[in-house]
Amino acid sequence: MKSYKILLLLIGVSVFGCSDLEEEPVGLLSPEGFFQTTGDIQTAVDGSLTHAINEMFWGRKLSVALMLRSDMVALASNETRRVEMDEFTTLASNGMISEFWPKTYQGIAAANQAIAGAEDVGVADEIKNPVTAQAYFARAFYYFHLVRLFGDVPYIDAPITDVDAATSMSRTPASEVYANIISDLEFAKAWLPNTVTSRAIPSKAAASSYLALVYLTMEEWQLAYDESTEVINNAGTYNLALESNFQNLFDASVIDASLEPIFALDYNNFEADDNAYDQIAPMTGIRGDVRNSGGGWSIAVPSLEVYTTWDAGDYRRAVSLDDTAKFDDDNDPETPDVEYPYTQFDVSAHEFAKNVPYIAKYTRFPEPFARANARATSHNYSMIRYAEVLLIAAESAVELGNNASALNYVNQVRARARMGGETMTGASVAVTVAPSTVPADLTGTVTVADVLEERRLELAFEGKRWYDIVRRQLGGVAFGTSGLEGAKSNFSSTDYLLPLPEDELERNPNLLPQNPGY
Amino acid sequence: MQKQLKFIKMKWVPLVVFILFGLALNAQQTVTGTVVSQPEGLPLPGANILVKGTATGATTDFDGNYTIVVQNSDAVLVFSYIGFVPQDVTVGSKTVIDVTLAEDASQLDEIVVVGYGTRKKSDITGAVSSVKSEELNAFPVLDAAQALQGRAAGVVVQSNNGGEPGAPINIKIRGNTSINASSSPLIVVDGFVGATMPQSNDIESLEVLKDASATAIYGSRGSNGVVLVTTKKGKTGKISIELNSTYAVQSISNQIDLLNADEFADYQNQIRANNGVTSAYPQGTADTDWQDLIYKSGSTANHQLSFSGGSDNINFYASGNYFKQDGVLVNSDFERLTFLSNIDAKVSDKLKLGLNLFGSRGTKNGAATQSNGSVSAGGDDVITLAMRYAPDQPLYNTDGSYTFGNTVGDPVDNPYAVATERIDETKTDNFRVNFYANYDIIEDLTFKTTYGFSTQNQTRGIYLPSVLVQTAGAESGRASVEQDKSTTMLSENYLTYTKELGKGNLTLLAGYSYQKTVSENFYSEATGFISDNFSFYGLSSATNILQPDSSISEVEIQSQFGRVNYDYDDKYLLTATIRRDGASNFSENEKYALFPSAALGWKVSSEDFLKESETISNLKLRVSYGVTGNPSIGAYESLARFETLYASSNGGTVSAITPEQAANPDLKWESSYQTNLGLDLGFFNNRVTLSLDYYDIDTKDLILTNNTITEYLGYTGDDILANIGEINNTGFEVALNTRNITNENFSWSTDFNIAFNKNEVVSLANDADLFFDATPSYFSHDRSYVLRVGEEVGLFWGYDYSGVYQGGALPSGTATLAGGVAGDPLFADLDGSGDITEADRGTIGNPNPDYTFGITNNFSYKNFDVSIFFQGSQGGDIFNLTNSQLSNGDANTTRDNFYSAWTPTNTDTNTPRVGNNSNREVSSRFVEDGSYIRLKNIAIGYNFPQELIENLGIDNLRLTLSAQNLLTITDYSGLDPEVNYFGAGGDNNTSANTAQGFDFGNYPTVKSVNFSLNVKF
Repeated sequence: MKSYKILLLLIGVSVFGCSDLEEEPVGLLSPEGFFQTTGDIQTAVDGSLTHAINEMFWGRKLSVALMLRSDMVALASNETRRVEMDEFTTLASNGMISEFWPKTYQGIAAANQAIAGAEDVGVADEIKNPVTAQAYFARAFYYFHLVRLFGDVPYIDAPITDVDAATSMSRTPASEVYANIISDLEFAKAWLPNTVTSRAIPSKAAASSYLALVYLTMEEWQLAYDESTEVINNAGTYNLALESNFQNLFDASVIDASLEPIFALDYNNFEADDNAYDQIAPMTGIRGDVRNSGGGWSIAVPSLEVYTTWDAGDYRRAVSLDDTAKFDDDNDPETPDVEYPYTQFDVSAHEFAKNVPYIAKYTRFPEPFARANARATSHNYSMIRYAEVLLIAAESAVELGNNASALNYVNQVRARARMGGETMTGASVAVTVAPSTVPADLTGTVTVADVLEERRLELAFEGKRWYDIVRRQLGGVAFGTSGLEGAKSNFSSTDYLLPLPEDELERNPNLLPQNPGY
Repeated sequence: MQKQLKFIKMKWVPLVVFILFGLALNAQQTVTGTVVSQPEGLPLPGANILVKGTATGATTDFDGNYTIVVQNSDAVLVFSYIGFVPQDVTVGSKTVIDVTLAEDASQLDEIVVVGYGTRKKSDITGAVSSVKSEELNAFPVLDAAQALQGRAAGVVVQSNNGGEPGAPINIKIRGNTSINASSSPLIVVDGFVGATMPQSNDIESLEVLKDASATAIYGSRGSNGVVLVTTKKGKTGKISIELNSTYAVQSISNQIDLLNADEFADYQNQIRANNGVTSAYPQGTADTDWQDLIYKSGSTANHQLSFSGGSDNINFYASGNYFKQDGVLVNSDFERLTFLSNIDAKVSDKLKLGLNLFGSRGTKNGAATQSNGSVSAGGDDVITLAMRYAPDQPLYNTDGSYTFGNTVGDPVDNPYAVATERIDETKTDNFRVNFYANYDIIEDLTFKTTYGFSTQNQTRGIYLPSVLVQTAGAESGRASVEQDKSTTMLSENYLTYTKELGKGNLTLLAGYSYQKTVSENFYSEATGFISDNFSFYGLSSATNILQPDSSISEVEIQSQFGRVNYDYDDKYLLTATIRRDGASNFSENEKYALFPSAALGWKVSSEDFLKESETISNLKLRVSYGVTGNPSIGAYESLARFETLYASSNGGTVSAITPEQAANPDLKWESSYQTNLGLDLGFFNNRVTLSLDYYDIDTKDLILTNNTITEYLGYTGDDILANIGEINNTGFEVALNTRNITNENFSWSTDFNIAFNKNEVVSLANDADLFFDATPSYFSHDRSYVLRVGEEVGLFWGYDYSGVYQGGALPSGTATLAGGVAGDPLFADLDGSGDITEADRGTIGNPNPDYTFGITNNFSYKNFDVSIFFQGSQGGDIFNLTNSQLSNGDANTTRDNFYSAWTPTNTDTNTPRVGNNSNREVSSRFVEDGSYIRLKNIAIGYNFPQELIENLGIDNLRLTLSAQNLLTITDYSGLDPEVNYFGAGGDNNTSANTAQGFDFGNYPTVKSVNFSLNVKF
C-alpha cells in the first residue's frame, strides 16, 4: 500500500501542469486591456504624432517630395524616385510614395487606437476628451495630407477588427474624407486647451487653424474666413503672435520660445527608433559647405529664378536662401576656408553642385544635431504658423470681396518682412539687416494672385507651395515657359494627384481604378 | 545483442570440467556441456535446453554450462537462445554435448527505443535508423550530433562554421521541411523532450526516427524527425570503472594559394595600368603570409571517467568528462566539463524509481569569422581579411603598433589584430534533472510518470578594443553583454498495457504530457572606454551607454497521446498513433491540433513459403502515413500587438505606442503529411541486410510573410504572417550492411548508406518568387538566392557568366556591365536589351546535393581492428563568395586568378582581366561544384590480450590511433566544400533552411590525428 501512496503523490506532482494555454505576455503590449488611464491615451497619441517626424514622412520623404513637385525647388540628383517627382514622370511604383503612404496610415492607425482606447478609460469626458482630442487632430492632420496628395483614399477611423474586410475595402470619395476631417477637427477644437506647453502638442488654435486651411482648400471662403479670423481675434487667448525676427522661425536654438508656430513637428537632435529623424538640412544643403560637419548633399535646390525674381530688399530672401558659402577648397585643414559667391559653388567639384543660391532655412541654425551633415537636428518644423493664418484670412477675404480685411492681414505679414533682424550669411558672417521698405504695404485692391504670391515667399520651402498650386490649379503657369523652373513638358492636370502605390492596388484591386494619368 | 555480448566479454571462459555420474546401464543418462555463441565463441548464460516432446528442460549457468538428465539415447535436445538459431541434437551415446549457436539475425530481437517505449527491431513498422555507440565514439567529437554524419541514411549533419571549436551543429532529416521555421529535429534524451545532446561517450544508443509513423507520437514537434538518445545505465554486477582518454593534434587541411609581395605589386600595377593610372603601386618592404600568421596547429583533449555497477535493487552510472579544443585559428578555443549520472532503484517488485542528472559548463572563445559585413567592409572576419590584406605590409609598424588599413580597397583592420585582440566569449551552463517512477499496477499494465527540469544559461560577452582602428577605434572600444536563460519543466504520465491474445500481441499506450518553457534575455552595450583592460566587464566605465534590452517569453504545451501496436502471428504488424497537442503559442482559434499516423508491416519471411528459405532470412514490407507538425509560431506571434516607439517629441523623448500587428487568430503550425514505403531484407542468415525506404513529405501551411495585407491598415510590423506555403520532399534511402568475412581470427564487415532527396517548392504567397540574400552586406546585393515555385529550395540567383569579352562586337546574346571593354566579363543578356540589368538575372546554381552517402569498412584481425569511414555528398553547388571578394582587385588575390587573367596576349581564358568592371557581382562565374568524398575517419585499434592485462586487474585495455579528414576529393577551389554561410542578417535558426551552399570566410574543417586510450577495470 505504501507504494500506492507514493504513486498518488507522484500523480499529484505531475498533474499540476494544467493550463488554459492563454498567452499573457510580459514586456509586450497588446491592445486588450491596455487603456486604463488618460496617460495611456496620451501614449497612443504620442505614437501617432511620432510617425510624422519619421524619415518616411516629414523627416525627408514627404517634405522633399512636396518641395520637388513645387515650382520653388528643382532637383540636383539623378535618383529615379526624385526625378519622377520633379519632372512629373511619377510612376505608381515611386519610391517616395511607397514610403510616406504607409507611414501616414501608421499615424492614422495609432490615432484610431487612441480614440478607440479612450472608450475603455472610465473617467469623465471632461478629463479624457482633451487628450483624445489630440488623436482626432492627428487623424485629421494625416488624412488632410492624403486627400490632397491622392484624392479618394481608403478611409479607416477605427482599429482594424476584420483584416480581410479592411484589405478589400474601396476608396472613400474625397468629399467624404473632407467631411470626416472637418468633424475630427471640430471635435478637437471643442476639447483641446487654448494653450499648450509645447507647440508640438495640438491646441485649440491648431485645430481651428487647420479647419481654416481645410475650408480654404475646399474653397468654403466664408467658413475659412470665419475660422481664421477667430484664431486671429483670439491670438491673445491662444498666445499667438508674429515672430519679430523672421530668422528666428528657422533657428533651432530659439524656436521653442516663439509664439508664431501653431502646430509644429519638434525634433530633438537624436535618431529615434525606426529612422525617426530629419534629413531636410542635408537634402537642401550645399556640397562641400564647411558647416554642419560635412556640408549638405545638394539635392533639393531652387532654380536661379527663385532668387533673381525675389526682391533683394526682402529680408525673407536673406533668411530663405544662401548666396554665399565657405569651402575648404584645397582639402587642407590648416589653411583657412574660403568664402565663395553662389556663382562658384561648384568649387566642390561634385557632379550635382549648382551655381545657384541654396535653401538656407534649415541649414543655418540646426544645432545641436546628432549626426553629420546636420541630420537629426533640433528644428521645429511649423506645420501651420500664425503668418499662414493671416494669409488664409486675407485670401478668403479677397474671395468674399472684403478688401479692407484682406489688406489688413496681408500687410501684417509684409510688415514683419520689412523689419529685418539679426541673421547670418551662408558664409557664417553675422549680419544685422536693417528695417527696409520692401516689401511695401499692398494698397488698392488685393487680388488672389497677390495673396498666393505672398504665401509663395513667406512659406517658401515649407511644404505649402505644391498644395497651393494644386488647389488653385496653377500648374499650367507655374510649369509653363514663364515658370520659375522653365517649361516642364511632362506636366498635365492629372499630375495634381499622385498615383496610389501600385503594390497596394495589387493587394486590393477594389482600390482600382488608379488615379487618371498613371 | 551487441549490448549483452559486450557485457559478457568481461567474463572469461573457464575450462569445462566433465563429470560422468554413471554408466549407460540405466537408460537414464546425464548430459553436460557448454553453449557458446558464433562467431564470438562466448558462453551464453540462460540458454534453454529442452528435451523435445517433453517438459524436461534446463538452462545454462553464467558460464554457459548446463546439465540435463534424459530418459534414453533417442532423446533430442533442443538448444535455444533468444536471437540465435535453435539447434536440435540427438543424444545418442554422448554425455558431453557442446553446442555453438549461430546468431539468428532474422530474429533481430534487438530492442529499439521508440517514443514512450521500446519495440523489438523486427516489429518496427516505421523508418528508424539506429546508430551504434561504437560509431558515435569512433573519433572524438564535441557534439554527438557530429558523429551522426554519414552514419544514418537521410540524416545530413553540418557544422555551421567548419572546424570552429564549439560551432553549432545543424542536423536535417529528409531535407528542408520549412522556410521560416527550424528544420532541426527534436532531440529527446532519456525521455526528456527538447534536451541538450549528452556527450557521446555517455550514449548507449541513438535512434533517428524519420517517418511519420515513428515521429507522430511527438505531434507538433515531429515533422523534422526525432533523435532519441538513451544514456548509459549501470548493470547489476561488480563495479566497473572506465577511462577514455583522447588526444588529437589538428591542422588546417588547406590554404588558399595567394600572391606574395612582389606578385601583389605586379598585380596592383596591372590593375592601375588597366584603369589608366600611370603611377606605380608603392610596394612595401615586407612579405607577410597572413594565412601563416592566423593559423596554427590545434589540439583536442577529451578525458572521461565513468563508474557503473549495481546490486539487485540499485544500479548506477556516473561519468565526468573534460573536453578541450584549441582551434587552428589563433585565439579560438572551446572547453567543456560535463557530468552525467543515472540511478535506478527497484523499490519493490512493482515499483521502480530513477533519477537522471546532467550538467555541463562550456566556454567558447570565438574568433571572428564569416563576417556578415556589418562592420565596415567586412573588416571583422579573420579568414577573409588574411586573404585580402596586402602581403607587402608588415604585421607591426616600427613603433610596435599594428599596421592598419590595407593598402588597397576599403580600410580594414589588420587580420592578426582582429584575431588576437577581439574578445568574444560565450559561457553556456546546462543542467537537467529527470525523475521517473515506474509502477506495475496489475500484470500487463504499467504506469510511468516522469518529472523533469532543465535550464540553460548562456552569457556572451564581446569586447572590441580601440586598437581595432576601423572597428572600434573611433568609439574608443565597444563592449556588449548578452544573457539568455531558458528553463523547461516537463511532466509526463502514461500507461502501457501489454497483452497476448492468442497468436496476437497487443500493446496500448496512453499518456498526458505538460511542458513549460520560459526564456529570458538581457542585452546591454556601451562604447567609449578609457582603457581596454575592462574587457566587457566594465560597462559602467563607458562614456556612452546604449539602450539596453530585456525580454521574456513563455510557452506551454499540453498533450494527450496514444498508440496501438498489434502484431499477429509474428507476420502482420500494425502501429497507430495519435497525439493531440495544445500550445500557448498557437493562435486563438487553433489552440489544439491532432496528429495521427498509421503503419502496417508484413513479415513475408515468416510466411510458410519463405520460412525455410536458405537465401532469404528476412523480408519485411512496411508502409506508413501520418501527419506531424512544426510549431513554427513564436511566442505571442499571433497576438495583436503594439510596438513601443522611443520617440523624439515635445522637446524631449517619450515612449509611445503604435499598432504593430493585428491578431492572427487563425495562424497554424506547419504540417507535414508523410508517406513512407519500406523494405527490409536479409540474406544468408542475415549476413547481408538491406533496408530501402521511399518517402514523400508534403509540408503545408508554411508560415510566410503575407504580402497580401495592405499597408493602409497602418501596422508597423513588417512580417505579417500567414499559412501560405508548401514544400515537398521525396527521397530514397538505402542502408546496406554486410558481414563479408567472419572467421575466428579475421572479420570484415561493411556498412553503406546513401540517400537521395529531391525537394520542390510547391506554393508561395501568390506563387511569387521569394528573393533572399546571403552575401555580406558590404557586397551591396539584395538578391542572391530564390525560392521559386516548381524549383528546389534556395537556387542561386544572379547573372549567367559567358566568358571574357574579347573586344569588338559582343557575342550574340551577351553583354557586359556598364563600360565593358576587352577583358571584362560577359554575361547572358536575357532580355536582349544590350545592357546587363536586373532583368538579366536568373537561377545559376543549385546547392541541394543529389545524394549523400557514407561507407564504413571494419576489419578485425585477432586483437587488431581497423575502421575506414568515407562520407560524401554529390551534386550540390557552392557559391564561392570568398573568391568573388578576391577577384575584385581591391585586395590580394589567388595565384590562379592572377596568372590566368585575360590580357591582350592571354585571350584564351575564362578569367577576366585584373581590375575588370565587375564589382563582386553575383554570377555563375563563382558557382562551383561542391561534390566531395571525404575520408572522414580511419582508425586502427588494438585490444590487449586478456592474459596480459588480467594480472593488472584490468578488464579491458584498448589503444586507438585514428585520423579524421585525412583526404578530401573535391573540385571545389575554396578551403572546404562543407560550407554554411548565411550572409547579412542571416542566422542559424531560420536561414539554414534556405541559404545553402554559400562560402565566405568559413572556419576551415581540420585534419586531425588522434590517439585514444580506453581502460576498463
